[in-house]
Amino acid sequence: MTPLDQLLALSALTVVAVWLIGNRQITGWNATILYAAQGVLLVMMAGLGYGDVQSIASSVTFQVLGHGLHWLFDGLSWFFALITIGAALLSSWFASGEWGQRYRAAGGSLRLFHTALALNVFSMLVLLASGDLLSLFIGWELVSWASFLIMALGGATATRYAMRYVTYAFTGAMAVLMALVMVYTQSGSFEFQAFRDAVPTMSAGSLWLIVLLFAAGFGVKMALIPFHLWQAKAYAETPGPGAAFLGAISSRMGLFALVVVLVQLIGVARLADLQLVFPFFSARDLLTWVAVLTLIFATFTALKQHDARRLLAWHGIGQGGYMLLGVLIADDLGSAGGLMHVFNHATYQAVLFMAVTAVIHRTGTSDLNKLGGLVTRMPLSFVAMLIGIIGLAGLPPMNGFVSKWLIYRSLIIDGSPLLFLASVIGTLGTILSVYKLIHNTFLGQLRLEHVEVEEAPSSMIWPMMILSAVVFITGYFPGLVLDWVASAQAAVGLPELVHTLGGVPSDKGGLDMIWVVSVMLIGFGIGALIFFAGGRSKRVHQLDNYAGGHFLTAETRYQYSDNFYPGLMHLIGPWYRKSFRWLERGFISTVDTLSQVMQGLYRAVHPSFYLLVVVVSALSWVVIK
Amino acid sequence: MNQLALLVALPLITAFLLPVINRVSTFAARWTGPLVLVITSAIGISFWPQLGDSAVAIELGGFRPPLGITLYADKMALLFALATSIGTLLLWPSRGEDKLRQSTLALILAGSGSGLALSGDLFNIYVFYELVAVVSYGLIAARSTAGSFAATVRYLIVSSFGAALALTGIALVYQATGTLNLAQLSQLAPTHLNNLQGLAAFVLMLIGFGVKAELFPVNTWVPEVYATAPTRISGLLAGVVSKLALLIIVRLLVLIFHQPEALTVMLVLGILGVVTGELAAWRARDFNRMIAFSSIGQLGIMFIAFSIPGEAGVFAGLAVALHHLVVKPAMFLLAERWQGSLANLAGAARTSPLGAALFILLALSLIGVPPLPGFWAKLLVMINLVAQENSLYMLGAWVIMGGAALEANYLFRVASSFYHRTDEQTPPAAHRPGDLATASLLGAGLVASAFLIMPLADEIEGVASQAADKNHYVQTVNPEQLP
Amino acid sequence: MLDTGLVLYSAAFGLILIGIAGIVLSAHLVRIIFGVALLEAGANLLLLLATWREGASAPIIVAGRVPEFMADPVPQALVLTAIVIGVGILALALSLALRVQRAYGTLDMHEVRQRMEQEIADQAGIDMPASSHAPAAVQAARQEGSA
Repeated sequence: MTPLDQLLALSALTVVAVWLIGNRQITGWNATILYAAQGVLLVMMAGLGYGDVQSIASSVTFQVLGHGLHWLFDGLSWFFALITIGAALLSSWFASGEWGQRYRAAGGSLRLFHTALALNVFSMLVLLASGDLLSLFIGWELVSWASFLIMALGGATATRYAMRYVTYAFTGAMAVLMALVMVYTQSGSFEFQAFRDAVPTMSAGSLWLIVLLFAAGFGVKMALIPFHLWQAKAYAETPGPGAAFLGAISSRMGLFALVVVLVQLIGVARLADLQLVFPFFSARDLLTWVAVLTLIFATFTALKQHDARRLLAWHGIGQGGYMLLGVLIADDLGSAGGLMHVFNHATYQAVLFMAVTAVIHRTGTSDLNKLGGLVTRMPLSFVAMLIGIIGLAGLPPMNGFVSKWLIYRSLIIDGSPLLFLASVIGTLGTILSVYKLIHNTFLGQLRLEHVEVEEAPSSMIWPMMILSAVVFITGYFPGLVLDWVASAQAAVGLPELVHTLGGVPSDKGGLDMIWVVSVMLIGFGIGALIFFAGGRSKRVHQLDNYAGGHFLTAETRYQYSDNFYPGLMHLIGPWYRKSFRWLERGFISTVDTLSQVMQGLYRAVHPSFYLLVVVVSALSWVVIK
Repeated sequence: MNQLALLVALPLITAFLLPVINRVSTFAARWTGPLVLVITSAIGISFWPQLGDSAVAIELGGFRPPLGITLYADKMALLFALATSIGTLLLWPSRGEDKLRQSTLALILAGSGSGLALSGDLFNIYVFYELVAVVSYGLIAARSTAGSFAATVRYLIVSSFGAALALTGIALVYQATGTLNLAQLSQLAPTHLNNLQGLAAFVLMLIGFGVKAELFPVNTWVPEVYATAPTRISGLLAGVVSKLALLIIVRLLVLIFHQPEALTVMLVLGILGVVTGELAAWRARDFNRMIAFSSIGQLGIMFIAFSIPGEAGVFAGLAVALHHLVVKPAMFLLAERWQGSLANLAGAARTSPLGAALFILLALSLIGVPPLPGFWAKLLVMINLVAQENSLYMLGAWVIMGGAALEANYLFRVASSFYHRTDEQTPPAAHRPGDLATASLLGAGLVASAFLIMPLADEIEGVASQAADKNHYVQTVNPEQLP
Repeated sequence: MLDTGLVLYSAAFGLILIGIAGIVLSAHLVRIIFGVALLEAGANLLLLLATWREGASAPIIVAGRVPEFMADPVPQALVLTAIVIGVGILALALSLALRVQRAYGTLDMHEVRQRMEQEIADQAGIDMPASSHAPAAVQAARQEGSA
């Protein structure tokens, strides 16, 4: 039994074990321990992550209908699997303890929740381990349905959004199947190598179609424009830690599949060769602009949200654009940035979702217009959210800065000023909206009803602190993650990034986070010295406020939270015409009308008339032929 | 060898003896039918290993073909004859006032269905076809509601119109060749039927026999009949009878009509069937009609699959047909309690958790989610369609994909409503253990075949290659050359 | 002098066409059933004509003299079967028509179809499919009808 078999078997065992243990408090803790065990098994395969081992294959193979199915892990799979199991471990830890108790008391089934989570992990591992196109599709379908399961747990509204997801996801899966079958026709088998060999001989037309179908199918999961409408609401309505898990890694499965198919098998160079009528627009350009537009649209839609979970979900969509952009630049810097962004984003998206869930747990609401001033009540959650926000915005000293730096650098080197400008605009939007998030939740004026709010329970604090520590440490020593990224690049066939523990060396101005963060820490240290050395300040109660000669009582709202950026909204507001929603609605009503037509066909008074018409036309066609 | 004829004769005889038995003892009459079907199924299963190498032809009465009637049993025919017996057994009409009449009709259906599958003569096929039709009229109207009478009479009109056209087609064939024995027709086809007359005959027979096979556009009877007939009968019709009609058409294609135009007509009608069926199902608001339209769509897929030339087409179509044979009757069994409006099914998971889980399993297999067998069947169809490199076949592939997406949407709309209870509504009815037992059996079979997909696929491929082998058929039946 | 073959074939096709016209164009159920009967008659005649030859006699050997041309007896046997099937179905159809008449009071297919669909919809507890853009008065009448 190879290590991969052991990991998959343990993962399947987790599903069964969680189901059997049932709707009890101990389910969550057991699941956490089992995820930790899976993590240990994964760490034993760490040779993949450091480029020592090329691939670890599974001993299980099938031959169905003359097609072989086999599974293997390489550097890319290991990298993604690490993120998956880590996210599952921390989400499951978060869901044990008080959150689980309250979920169960409200009528939810812990058995279903944890089984859904375990199923998600198992199906993702199966997808990551795919060794040929058919097993890739099987893993893809399993992941889609597992995500549906966890989304649909949240109640009636969640099911509605989950249904929307199913429609998108299944249509996407059918597009992938179509592309698969077209590849099979051209290459004669479902093996990766056969596809790679057949690509040079494929005609431009058929390759364009295949690329578009794969991009559309996998892009649905990643919520690329124009398939992005389902994700925000569906993720927001998933029960707390489930949303953290989904936001961290679920949509990145789409990126994994895209990397495998577009980068590893077809090759970005071939994508750049696939050109439309005008030679300066290629398939690669199309995809990079889709990525960038996803980034901009999603981030600025996040600005408008006043529900914290929706805001974060929209950010999840937008950051996916960065990842795809980086990967498509396909040089060492850009692809490293894109892949590292997957890891980074997973960490701070998870910590942000966890912080928001902790706030919901204590205050009962995630509406940003109804919160404020919780910093003294929930200081650790504040720290977690602060670290997450700095990471999401991509500012030093957190890890988000490293991946963004890599992507910006590669865009400039690549000579794409428009893309660079667009991604900077995206970062601007991110910074603005995450500040809104933290301001409206933790800063500002405390509400009277939240005076008695306590800090989140330890089962929630621990995962958040661990994640915050990871965000900070990988920001300080990005080389830790860049090792794994480099072996993932090697596995996919991208140029490997030369890196040190602190970052990327370069004579044109490299990145050394150790210096940057150390300087920042020293600066903060000096500041702290001055602060503590120079006299004690007086501590005042948070509600004791005084401004303009008046004592302000807590009943008066002077917190500025709604319509946070009126100037900006005035500028960009008219651009929000909800065109994609209109498109979606138009499509649905077309199907609806057609359906009515077909039903009308079946309600005819004289069905024999149809028979006659068809017989006559068939006979006349036959005669004419 | 000749015991195979018992598959046809035994149910027929028992059906006619049933009223007499009933006079003697009602208890015996209630159990004779299922007992006879068990015996015929056992006979059929015992024959299966014998057909491994070659098919078997039985000359009825000892008369050599083409003057005599032959029964031809290759694996595919035996498979469908068995499916008829076992299907009638599983879906045995157990409710309703006049159990005697329904039992009699069901037995005749089993016997004539087996005859339809096994027959080797074109007119014999016509007779059995009409027999199945008449029996189904009686079974559909079993509920004696006004709606069922109206649906039956509309079905009768379309079916008789189709049968008369099929008879015209048979007349054209006889006029060209002078024989109605399938093997001899197969020998004579390249010279006598490879022309306009042959093609016209095929079109007439396709549409005539296609009425039962839910071919577009003669499938308008489907939603009405499935909504008014007893659900078990609907299950039988959708699951078993439609496949028998399809089997006849496939035999005609494989043995006699090799023109590409014949395949094109089937392909076009299949595409139209998928499009209209799936789109109409999208807005269906009651359970019976939703699965009726879905059935139309699935049969359209089978027609598209069978229109692929060569053995690959027979294999692909057979895979889809066998899968549907298991899934649709199971769904109709679930429909027995869930007949009403779809909106009333909200919260059904509370009252009938096993039923809800079964529905989800069947839906997943129907739309083609791996590793369930429905996925492998669809993959097979898709691979062979795209490999044709013909734009009409590509259109067929796109249409199947679109149909699957639509199907996922409306089936899961229903499935997810099961798990949300609204307290104001009356909860939907719970299933009886009896219905669920049969449905669970079928569901378990589905899951088992997902695990055993590799040997199963090889076996079905064997069946298909034997069925697609025209020369083997002719050699086995070996008709005399009449002067 | 008319060619016998032409007369017979045009009779067969004529019957078929009249039957089809009856089925497709009539609104009354009994007329439709008659159309089916005519259609089947035409199809049977066509089958008989399959091996008809001018001057052929019945396929009977009388007193040892074999006639020169004999009509093929096989289709005659087949047509007998088909006629019997047709008669059976005709009887069944007429009895169903009787039931429909008793249940609905009418044999007009438009009426019958409408009532059947109404019954199916009522049994399922849903509304009949109707235009959502109907004017207000019609919609109100519809709602009153279903209430």
